[in-house]
Amino acid sequence: MTFYIARRLLWTLVVVACVIGITFVVFYLLPAGDPALRFAGKNPNPTELALIRHRLGLDQPWYEQFGRFTWRFFTGDKYGWPGLGYTYASGSSVKAIVLARAPRTLLLIAGAAFLWLVTGVAIGVLSAVKRRSLADRAAMGFALFGISTPVFWLGLMSLYIFWSQLGWTAGTGYVSPLDSPTGFISHMILPWSVLALLYAAFYARMTRNNLLETLGEDYIRTARAKGLSERRVIFKHGLRASLTPIVTMFGLDMALLVGGAVITESVFNIQGLGYTAINSALQQDLPLVLGIVLVASVAVAIANLVVDILYAFIDPRVRYA
Amino acid sequence: MKKVLRLALLGAAVIAIAALASGCGSKKSSSGGTTTNSGGTKSANSVVGSGSFSNGSPAKGGTYTIGWENSFGFTNNFDPTGEYLGNAWGLYSNLMLRSLVGYKHQPGAAGNELVGDLATEAPTPTDNGLTYTYKIRSGVKFGPPVNRAVTSKDVAYAMNRLANPKDGGQYSFYYTVIKGWDAVANGKATTVSGISTPDNNTIVFHLTKAAGDFNLRMSMPATAPIPEEVGKCFEGKPGDYGRDVVSSGPYMLQGADKVTASCPMKPMSGYDGANGNHIILVRNPNYDQSTDQYRKNYIDSFKFVVNSNADDIFAKVQAGQYDDEVSTPTPKTIRQYATTPSLKPRMIPNVGDRTNYLSMNLTQPPFDDVHVRKALNFIVDKAALQKAWGGPIPGSIATHIVPPVLYNNGLAEYDPYATPNEAGDVGKAQAEMKQSKYDPGKTGKCTASACKGVLTIADTRSVDKTMIPILVEDAAKIGLKLTVRSINGAYTTIQTPSKNIPLAERPSWGKDYADPYTFFAELFDGGAIIKSGNTNYSLVGITPAKAKEVGATGSIDNVPTVDPDIAACSAKLASQRTTCWENLDKKLMEQVVPWVPYLWPNNVFIIGPNVTHWNYDQFTDGPAYSSVSKK
Repeated sequence: MTFYIARRLLWTLVVVACVIGITFVVFYLLPAGDPALRFAGKNPNPTELALIRHRLGLDQPWYEQFGRFTWRFFTGDKYGWPGLGYTYASGSSVKAIVLARAPRTLLLIAGAAFLWLVTGVAIGVLSAVKRRSLADRAAMGFALFGISTPVFWLGLMSLYIFWSQLGWTAGTGYVSPLDSPTGFISHMILPWSVLALLYAAFYARMTRNNLLETLGEDYIRTARAKGLSERRVIFKHGLRASLTPIVTMFGLDMALLVGGAVITESVFNIQGLGYTAINSALQQDLPLVLGIVLVASVAVAIANLVVDILYAFIDPRVRYA
Repeated sequence: MKKVLRLALLGAAVIAIAALASGCGSKKSSSGGTTTNSGGTKSANSVVGSGSFSNGSPAKGGTYTIGWENSFGFTNNFDPTGEYLGNAWGLYSNLMLRSLVGYKHQPGAAGNELVGDLATEAPTPTDNGLTYTYKIRSGVKFGPPVNRAVTSKDVAYAMNRLANPKDGGQYSFYYTVIKGWDAVANGKATTVSGISTPDNNTIVFHLTKAAGDFNLRMSMPATAPIPEEVGKCFEGKPGDYGRDVVSSGPYMLQGADKVTASCPMKPMSGYDGANGNHIILVRNPNYDQSTDQYRKNYIDSFKFVVNSNADDIFAKVQAGQYDDEVSTPTPKTIRQYATTPSLKPRMIPNVGDRTNYLSMNLTQPPFDDVHVRKALNFIVDKAALQKAWGGPIPGSIATHIVPPVLYNNGLAEYDPYATPNEAGDVGKAQAEMKQSKYDPGKTGKCTASACKGVLTIADTRSVDKTMIPILVEDAAKIGLKLTVRSINGAYTTIQTPSKNIPLAERPSWGKDYADPYTFFAELFDGGAIIKSGNTNYSLVGITPAKAKEVGATGSIDNVPTVDPDIAACSAKLASQRTTCWENLDKKLMEQVVPWVPYLWPNNVFIIGPNVTHWNYDQFTDGPAYSSVSKK
């Protein structure tokens, strides 16, 4: 197992390097214009533009910039290790910005993931066990609603109802749990719910289908024939075997949301990593984009690794050499 | 327990949102108030002038919170030497910095009148317009951590910083008329020889040629004093001073009193950078109200907060959680405020000193023929374009280059391409087209191959999508078949002359300061055409040599120029100057015809229910923060 983990970690480094390289190249190949123009005023003369390009390091070929970025990443810069450099827009440390924004995103994902996992799996199990019942149809109706409703619409409507009209929640924005635990929950309950609704719907459908398939297996019939209680059959033998694809999806979903919860973050003004990534891309702030891409790709790679390791615990058939 | 129950109910209720969502209508209401305006620009198409709101006597105190859409968007991280974002100027001019001359922070033409600010008055030039001498007002002090009187040397230091490209000045081209400026810009000197400070209260500028608007140029935020003891910490580091701007005005960055004026300086906590989400300003304890006639300073502190959701910004303004906004009201919001009597006074449209226009490239067929350019001016349905922008509240129909407010409401009735209801006139347009070489058969339509597939660059905003079909249909009436390419961030393309773009739908231009020079010099000066970032999109005044330099091709010979007109007008003063600019405007519209101006946009502001006094600042084209008050 240790060798397996070490090998996977090595591959993780390769994947992250590839992602960063591709991001770098994409920025240079797409006709996004000259970032220096943003800092040059309305009618810049060539000397001023050249100075800005030099200051931002844009006067070097892209591969040299990439080399410098990689070197700083491993050796550190004036902001410490890992060296992610500074933003074009403010000259601030990319690492500091990423570290400041990451907790917002992680807490958003964690809360939403808890909600969608609990509700999604519970609804899926209920639906599979009570197949073709009213509860099953209601659960699948919920899934259809969750899958088909755009997050931004759901977000705006939930704000309208629960903040603007009923005044039950604190509305948009972010309050650190260290500053005010109740304020934090009051601000996050809507984004958690909205984000969870979409994913819970997916998880409910997936759990239902997997469980139904598993419950049709011979070993389930054997378990029932042995006289095990239905609860034991479903949860110990049926659900456990159905969980493998769900764990896979869960790991990937969590990781993808590190940089991908853009709409939820924007609608609820959480200003996490996704929102920052989009803003910095629009402002051609390459160092900040790279910093966030780096974090997101590491998250995806690590999540994959964790999922693979979890397989061994969930499914006795899986063993790593 | 009650809270837990609520949260539980909330979780269940999320599922039922769709069913509950119908019948939206706000329960919240606003108190009354009176909105006034300072006079519109053109009665036929304009419903507004620049406005103010009053609801009782202004009271001192409170925190004024402003929602700022998406990100600050600063061009130089809030460092005044290079910062070119108009919203930043609103903060500098009203709250933080005192340049030698300033404004009354009022709406309308009065708000563009120059007054002494750090200087006792706007001086009259001597030496045939080549020397300007300013006397510094006594009693003006820097805020913490500097805590001393502002002197002429602090202004000179700011100017030297502006002249040095390594310090990131983004509009230093306005000051090249100062003797010795270019030597600093080229690295041959460290101080501008044409600036002298005979004593702490006097600063003298010697110019190489007369510039009638020099006083106006000295109203810009980059010219405001910077204490050298702080500024030296940021030499060669453009933008870094933005987090340690030392106040000379009524408010300072929060935390200014917690840092020391020695290098390296720690950032003040009141601003967390261009990538950040807040600016907090508090009172400058060293500010002396008796030195300042025009800033009222009712509010105790200002809090500018980034919000990624524009709808939420307006919801919070309506709910009173924000008092003001730096955003653009959507048509939905405008409609809501325009049709709700209790809200209507809190929507204040203001003339924006800006022109939206279509630019035609004088070097590219068929726009290398003035008759085609005139025909397009006659055929465009400006009323439909205005409607695409949301009707008369977001803007009035433009009929020439510079908004009348910059001529002190001159040329308000001038409309060389007037058509019935500004909806376009096929007859006039076709009559003009018949005179074009691209209509050899005199059919009234462009029949030459140059009129097929005319490349038109548009942007991808929602308003662009509404405008494009109107333009395509209008142009077709005179035989112009447009091929529209929509590009997210179209400016990059149209600012590159080598791309030879015939027609651009995106352009919009606003003043830097209250003088038409800031339109003409940057938009029509042939000598200022550059390879990238060029703003003379029509290439007025381009010469074969310049075309070769920037990579432009096409009909380069005989492109009309207005360079001598710009030079002549810029040396004039007072009413002669205004008349000169007006005549140049007419010449451009009637002889050169580089544009189809279609809208003078308004800046529409929505204010919250707790605001008791608000007015527009015509110079900054934003709220006069120094005059606002709240309950």
